[in-house]
Amino acid sequence: MDIESRKKALRYMFQKVIEPLGYKFSPDEELVNFLLEQEVLLEQKHRIPYCPCQGLTKKRSEDMKIVCPCIPFHRKHFDMMKRCWCGLYVHRDVTNPDELKQIPLYRLKRAKNVS
Amino acid sequence: MLVEVAKTIELAPGGVKAVKVNEKEILLCNYDGNVYAVDRRCGHMNAPLDFGALEGRYLTCPMHSVQLDITTGEALNLPLYHYFGEETEDEPRTKIIDNYPEHVGALFSHIKTCNIQTYPVKVEGDSIKIDIQ
Repeated sequence: MDIESRKKALRYMFQKVIEPLGYKFSPDEELVNFLLEQEVLLEQKHRIPYCPCQGLTKKRSEDMKIVCPCIPFHRKHFDMMKRCWCGLYVHRDVTNPDELKQIPLYRLKRAKNVS
Repeated sequence: MLVEVAKTIELAPGGVKAVKVNEKEILLCNYDGNVYAVDRRCGHMNAPLDFGALEGRYLTCPMHSVQLDITTGEALNLPLYHYFGEETEDEPRTKIIDNYPEHVGALFSHIKTCNIQTYPVKVEGDSIKIDIQ
C-alpha cells in the first residue's frame, strides 16, 4: 500500500467532512503532510486513521472519539482554539496557524467555564 | 478489442454500473465526466463493488471498507475488521459464537488485499466501449 496515494485519498475524504464544519486543512503544508503520513501509518497498524497526537485508551467507545477528523467530538474545545488538537485543521478564517496555541481542555474550562 | 458494454445515458455522473463481458465482471464508474472501467470484484474478498460507494475517484468496498482508486485500480488501505463489541467480564470474547472474532481475525491476517485491474475505455457517441484482452 502506497503511503502517498493513501494520503491523497484521506485528504480528499477528510476535506468533505471538515468543510461543512467550518474547518480547513492548515496552510502549513509541511505539517499537514507529516500528520497525514502518521495517520496512514496508524491506519496500517490499527485499520483506523486515529489522531496521531492523542493516545489510544484501548476502550473502543473512547478511541472512536479520536478518529480523524475528530472535530465533532471535541467541537467546543477546538472552536475555542480555532484549530484541532494536532493542528491538522484550522478554522477556515485562520491564515497564520503559528499564532494558534494548543490549549488543554481543562485550562479552557477553568478560564471560560466550558462544559 | 473494443466491446460496447453500455450507453452513456445508463451511467449517471458519480455513478457506477456493473456489466458482464466475456464472463468478466466489470464496473463502469463515472468520475468527473470521464468513464473508468475496473474489475467489479474487490481485491480482498471478491465483494461486488457496485454495492459500495464512489466518492470522487475513490471506491469503497461495501464489505470491509477497502478503498480503491478507480483510475489506477490501487487498493489504498487494509480491510476494516467487523466490530464484535467490547469484551466484558460478564461476556468474554471466547463466549461469542465459539471464539468467532478471533477465528475471523486469524483468517483475515492471511488474506492479501490485491489491486484491481483497470481497463481502457473509449466513449464513442453515446456508446461506452472497453478494451478487454
